[in-house]
Amino acid sequence: MKRLIKQKRGQFVIIAVLMIAMMIISIGALMHRAVTYYKHEPWEEYLTLVGNIELNSRRLVELSLANYTHTLNQAILKTNLEKWQTDVLRIYLGREIALDYTLASGTNYNYSLGLTRDWNKKASFSAAEASFSLNITSIGLTGYNFTAIAFLNLTIISVNTNTSEITVTVKGEDRIPIPALKKDNFQVVEPTNITITSVTPRYDDKEILVYIIKCNGTIPASVSVIMKVWDSRGIQVTAKYP
Amino acid sequence: MTKSNDVKGQMRIIEVILASFIIVFALSFANILAIVPTSPKYEATELEKLGYNVLHDLDKQGLLPRFVYKEEWGNLTAALRVSLPLDVYFNMTVYDLQGTKINNVTIYYGDPETFTASKNIASVTYGLVGYPIKLNATQYQANYEPRTLILQLTRG
Repeated sequence: MKRLIKQKRGQFVIIAVLMIAMMIISIGALMHRAVTYYKHEPWEEYLTLVGNIELNSRRLVELSLANYTHTLNQAILKTNLEKWQTDVLRIYLGREIALDYTLASGTNYNYSLGLTRDWNKKASFSAAEASFSLNITSIGLTGYNFTAIAFLNLTIISVNTNTSEITVTVKGEDRIPIPALKKDNFQVVEPTNITITSVTPRYDDKEILVYIIKCNGTIPASVSVIMKVWDSRGIQVTAKYP
Repeated sequence: MTKSNDVKGQMRIIEVILASFIIVFALSFANILAIVPTSPKYEATELEKLGYNVLHDLDKQGLLPRFVYKEEWGNLTAALRVSLPLDVYFNMTVYDLQGTKINNVTIYYGDPETFTASKNIASVTYGLVGYPIKLNATQYQANYEPRTLILQLTRG
C-alpha cells in the first residue's frame, strides 16, 4: 500500500478518467434538460383554454334552448353559434382558433336546427343538441370533438283532486332528476284559478325524486291540468295531464 | 506519448474518484437545503397558468357568469381574493365585444405601485357567452351577450 501511495506516475490515466467523467456529466445534464423540457410548456394553460371554449359552447347551447322555450325562435341556436364561431376568434386573438359545429337533426328526437320541444303531454320535454370540432393551430391541436346536449323533461305523474296535490318529476340530461326546485320554478297554467302554496321534494322508488305540488283551491276532475317548469338555466317545459 | 504506457500511480485515480464522490455528494446535499428563487423567465407563465385555472374553476361552478352578468363586482373581487394566493395581486377588467368597459367598479387587489413597477405582469383573457336573467315570475332573458375578461396578475 505504501508503495502504491508513493508512485508519482500514471497521470495520463487520471486525465482520461476526468475527461470521461466530464463527458458523462455533460450527457447527463443534456438528457435531464430534454426529459424535463415539457415542464416549461404551458400545457395547463392550453387545457384551460380548450376547457373554456368547450364549457362556453355547452353554455351557449343551454342558453339558446332557454331562449327558444320562451320565444319559440327556431333559428336561435344557429344564429348564436354562428356569432360564437366568429367572436371566439376576437376574444382569443392570435390563438388561431377554428370552431366548427353541426346542429342535430331528427336523430333521437325530432330536431330542427338543433332544437326541439314536445309539450302539452304527460311527459313533455325541451331539448337542444350540437356537435363541435375545435382546432387551435397555434398549439397544434386539431380535431378536438365534443357534443353539447341540453335537455329538460317534465312528467306529471298524478293529480289528486281530493287533496289538490300534483306529483311531478323533472329530469335533465341523461334522465338525472333535477334537485332543489322551489315554488318559483313551477306554475299551474290551467285551471287558471289555482295557485301553488308549497313544493316538497320526496324520494320515490321508481323516479328517485318527485315533487309534490300543493295547490290552494279545488282541482276539478274533469279539467286538464297544464303545468310549467323552469330550471336554473331558464329552460322551460309545459306538460298537460291527462 | 510515453506516458500512455504508464501503469503505475493508480492510487491517484482512487483519490480522484473519492474526491469526485465527495464533491457530488456535497452538491446534492446543498441542493436539497437550498431555496431556489423562482426564475423570472417562467414567472409570467406560472401566473398565467394560475389565472386561467382560477377563472376556469369559478366558471365551472357557475359563479363567474353570475358575478359578471349580474354585475356583482364585490363578490367577484372576493372570489378572486379567496382563490388566488395572498402574494398575488390582480386587476380585472370586463369588456363587451365592442371593447366597452363594463365594470364601473374596480376589481382590484394589491398595491397599485406593484403593477407599475413589476416587470413580470401576466395577462389572462377569458370569454363568457351569456347568462339567463330572470325578469319576472314566468320570464327569463337568455341572450347571447359575450364578455371578455382581462385578468392581470403580478406578485407582491
